[in-house]
Amino acid sequence: MGKPKFYDFCVHAAPDGDHTAPELVSLARHFGYDGIALANHSDKLPDKKPVLPSIEGFEVFRGIELVEENPSKLHSLIGKFRNSMDVLIVHGGSEAVNRAALENPRVDILNHPAFDRSSGLNQVLAKAAAENGVAIGITLRPILHSRGSRRVRLLSDLKANLELTRKYEVSLVLCSDAMSCFDLRSPMETLALAEVCGLEEDEALDAISIVPERIITKNRPGPGYVRDGIEVLEGDDLF
Amino acid sequence: MKRLLPSLRARKRYLAFELISEEPASRNDIVREVISSASSLIGDVTTSDCDIKVLGFEGGIGILQCSHTRVKETRASLAALTRINGKRATLHVLGASGTVKGATEKFLQDYRPFEPEIQE
Repeated sequence: MGKPKFYDFCVHAAPDGDHTAPELVSLARHFGYDGIALANHSDKLPDKKPVLPSIEGFEVFRGIELVEENPSKLHSLIGKFRNSMDVLIVHGGSEAVNRAALENPRVDILNHPAFDRSSGLNQVLAKAAAENGVAIGITLRPILHSRGSRRVRLLSDLKANLELTRKYEVSLVLCSDAMSCFDLRSPMETLALAEVCGLEEDEALDAISIVPERIITKNRPGPGYVRDGIEVLEGDDLF
Repeated sequence: MKRLLPSLRARKRYLAFELISEEPASRNDIVREVISSASSLIGDVTTSDCDIKVLGFEGGIGILQCSHTRVKETRASLAALTRINGKRATLHVLGASGTVKGATEKFLQDYRPFEPEIQE
């Protein structure tokens, strides 16, 4: 097996975050990532479609983080953005939104599921996430920027979610949720932090390289793709 | 006092790192923030096991020492560092080595400070 490829699927560029897309992209490349997804919050989208910086050997994906309280409006937003985005993230935070996101197979990742006194997941939602192939996002920024009791809360929520995702085999995605260049961390540091926070080594590696790759291949089907299960194969001696 | 035999000395790893920050910082600032972020993330007991020492820091790059069994914890606590003197900053580990010489030669000798490449 060669060197794994590392991806960061939740980076916020200006006007959502502090720094512009080219700055974030060049820092991520310097840190050793193979690709990032620029996923601005849907309530802070730029007026015109951003031009994605293109650098050789580095992929920049189109992403969005949907922020919506109302589940039925969330579903229509998902329908609106699904086809134009490589990565579709839902910003969770209430039972209704979490449920709507995890029961919709067109969603890729659910971030920040925790609310009030709950870690955001239970056995019903975890099962739905596994069935629909929605990954749970582990965001670093809140963990890095809080200390003391708030960080303790975040970590215990994370561990509660880990128990469920292990039992129901829900995939995880590690992402920085960076609002500025200073929130980005290199892949090795991210892995070390994830392991200190309770993930196993192989789980952390999956969450930063294999699961993101799977999301991209799902959303960017090959040239002969018609629909689920149907593909036009090229070549003479197929039979 | 007689020096410990080489076989009895604690084994170390040396991490070469660079600082990416809004404002330049001194070695003392870095020492203070690294230890405080480590003791906040992994606790005083594990931090003492890590045996973190900043050996040198100059011009945005430096070397720190940690116990060879606690590299992961050390990296995690470096990642958990978010501010130095109230200004946003991050430490990026360039690599780890078993000797200071190795770390310097491999990671610091041809180090070029990070400049964002902006294409218009």
